[in-house]
Amino acid sequence: MTGLNRRRLIAAAGAALAGSALPRGARAQAAYPTRPISLIVAFAAGGGTDVAARSIARYMEKHLGGGASIGVVNRPGAGGEIGWTAVAQAAPDGYTIGFINAPAIAAMTVEKQTRFTMDSFDPIGNLVYDAGILAVHKDSAFQNVADMVAFARANPGALTVGTTGGSGNSEHLALLQLQRLADIRINHAPFGGTAPMRTALLGRHIPVGAFNLSEGVEQVREGQLRVLGVMAEQRQSIAPDLPTFREQGIDLVAGSSRGIVGPRGIPAPILARLREAVRASMHDPEYVQAAQRASIPLRYMDGTEYQAFITRMTAEMRAIWQATPWR
Amino acid sequence: MFDALLHALPAVLSFKSALAMVVGMAAGLVVGALPGLTVTMGIAVLIPLTFGLDPLVALGVMAGMYNGGSYGGAITAILLRIPGTPASVATVLDGYPMAQRGEAGHALQVAVVSGTIGSVISAIALILLAPPLAQVSLLFGPAEYFWMAMFGLATVSMLLGDDALKGLVSVIIGLLIGTVGQDQLNGSERFVFDILDLVDGLNVVVLLTGLYALPPVLLMAERAARRGMDKALLRFDRARSVLREWRRYIRIWVRSSAIGIVIGILPGAGGSMTSLIAYNDAKRIAKDPDSYGKGNPEGVAASECGNGADNAASMIPALTLAVPGSGVAAVILAGLLVHGMRPGPQLFRDNPDVVYGFMLQMLVTSLMLAVMGGLAATRLFGQVLRLPPLMLTPFIVLLTVVGVYAVNASVFDLWAMLAIGLLGYVMDRLDYPTAPAVLGLLLGPMAESQVRLALTISRGDATILVASWVSWIMIAATLFVFLSPVWHAWRARAAR
Repeated sequence: MTGLNRRRLIAAAGAALAGSALPRGARAQAAYPTRPISLIVAFAAGGGTDVAARSIARYMEKHLGGGASIGVVNRPGAGGEIGWTAVAQAAPDGYTIGFINAPAIAAMTVEKQTRFTMDSFDPIGNLVYDAGILAVHKDSAFQNVADMVAFARANPGALTVGTTGGSGNSEHLALLQLQRLADIRINHAPFGGTAPMRTALLGRHIPVGAFNLSEGVEQVREGQLRVLGVMAEQRQSIAPDLPTFREQGIDLVAGSSRGIVGPRGIPAPILARLREAVRASMHDPEYVQAAQRASIPLRYMDGTEYQAFITRMTAEMRAIWQATPWR
Repeated sequence: MFDALLHALPAVLSFKSALAMVVGMAAGLVVGALPGLTVTMGIAVLIPLTFGLDPLVALGVMAGMYNGGSYGGAITAILLRIPGTPASVATVLDGYPMAQRGEAGHALQVAVVSGTIGSVISAIALILLAPPLAQVSLLFGPAEYFWMAMFGLATVSMLLGDDALKGLVSVIIGLLIGTVGQDQLNGSERFVFDILDLVDGLNVVVLLTGLYALPPVLLMAERAARRGMDKALLRFDRARSVLREWRRYIRIWVRSSAIGIVIGILPGAGGSMTSLIAYNDAKRIAKDPDSYGKGNPEGVAASECGNGADNAASMIPALTLAVPGSGVAAVILAGLLVHGMRPGPQLFRDNPDVVYGFMLQMLVTSLMLAVMGGLAATRLFGQVLRLPPLMLTPFIVLLTVVGVYAVNASVFDLWAMLAIGLLGYVMDRLDYPTAPAVLGLLLGPMAESQVRLALTISRGDATILVASWVSWIMIAATLFVFLSPVWHAWRARAAR
């Protein structure tokens, strides 16, 4: 912790020095950042979002240039609400940005009275999009989505599907969509975490599990699990041999994303710098290679595209909530 | 496999890897000793910094940190009664009274030797038995975890204190605190009072430092003695050698290591529960169970040995099934992924050098613990006790405040810690054991969510709870624990 702070201080001092040494015209350009930027992560250190943030931070520092320094600040709690509120309420000066996870954050604004809305943010760029999957144990009788749907129709409410979060997690929302699209009833078992759910699936304590593709792709490659369907428009590059739901006649598209936003109202030149830093990092071969090795499904969206994505997600969540409130 | 081990050996013992292990261990000792800073956090901060490094160098730091951190927690537990991690709660029980008697040096020695033995045995289990042992974790579904939690709760309430009733009351306090927060199954918020900081419930570190660190500070301030502990009382050089007394500890080491390994491979249990169950087991087989909790070094040995044995074992399901057995194992998995290692059976096939190298690093760092922990850290930190209480108390308060704030960066937690500290003070004064409360908070939510998950899966059919032989073993063990005081009383009467 102290090491980090010292590093930030040195970087800030360096940036200040560099700024004063530059000629006038250049200084206006390089006036940002003059102090360390806080990157808020709404989850504890060590989680997936945290590791993603700490990784991209190094590359954003490099591409912002001028000795920029980005410190990851963990503000965990309340399923992300504490950290996201902190981002939304920060001064829009470009010195506080944060990671959000859609659709989880959008679902939260729909299901409860949050102190922010999805309009409280200026999108900077999306990094990751991980499609949802339904998977079964390798010895399961279900070979494909049709088998599972047939079972669910014959035994209403008897099909148990485990998910990795709490009630209202993104997989739960996907299951609600599936119920509507396939006209079935699912018995939902939220395990509160990926590891316990995957163990239960491997140990055959539950028949079907819903989680993200990157979290299950290894077990699938090893033949321990079988994917019934991927909840995406088309087949995914990290696992091109896995069929989508759409191919199997059910138009289920769901997944979870990770991206960077700031509080709404960041001055245009600074917002542009931040967006450019994310764009450059996402095209940095070193970063791309590290992410590929770790099976992280990168999906870069620029600010405009990301904004459209958030808006669409929010509308979708509102529609699901109106049809089937999940809590 | 032995081929692969021999193949990996030179890389493990290379200068870079050795340096990485030393650095990791030093950092782990510090991080473990500070309440609030956890090994999980330390490794998470580390991962991005290891991008450009050789995987074995990165893993060496992590292995060092893991083994160092689990002993680091014992240092403050013994000296200051601050369990650096939940896992060192059981170490406090006998370690702190020992230190107060002037046997801090001996207590730390017992801790480091026992921790080393536990982690060495665990690392050997990881190397030899990883694939078969991994299957054990698959036997545990929600129903089995529920019984496991019940077993843990029964153990701490019945066997910890001298008075089973007071133990039960303490467990219930923990269980009640555990009900605060958002319900996992239906998302409703319980006892949250619209306070955002309470939605995730109370963090166990807050409870831990409140219950353990603050009451002795208040006691110390009450006494306000003017002088610190005499240097002679610390007795580092004259401390009895634990190894020479190995006959006394061998049974505890073997049993605690076995307990640590078994619980370590179960995802979700781990850590804190291991050391308490090992402690209770040692107390149960002891000739003089009444001396436990009053400064019996065997208690420290059991707790630290169980804690050490948990470490490498929790990597077994992580490496073989990609299912982490503990929070630390989970971040190490993330670290492996970043370096392109995909955990699972294929890891052993595709990257044998790295996986066996890492296993060896776990073994080497376990052995290093004896040197770095025993010789350096113990002597250095032990000097703390020589401070006069008047200087020591504000220092402890500062340490706890920093530690608790570090968990969630939340000021609310500081007030919660203060309130719990007062509660802990009252409990101490009335002679209620506090460890059951901690386990109540840890295991209560686990028991609740798992039994409800099991019933959700079975759609309300309660027979799922007794459907597997693993459940029956857990039930039998729980009953055994509940009935053992009765059995002892009966035997005592029969003997008379």
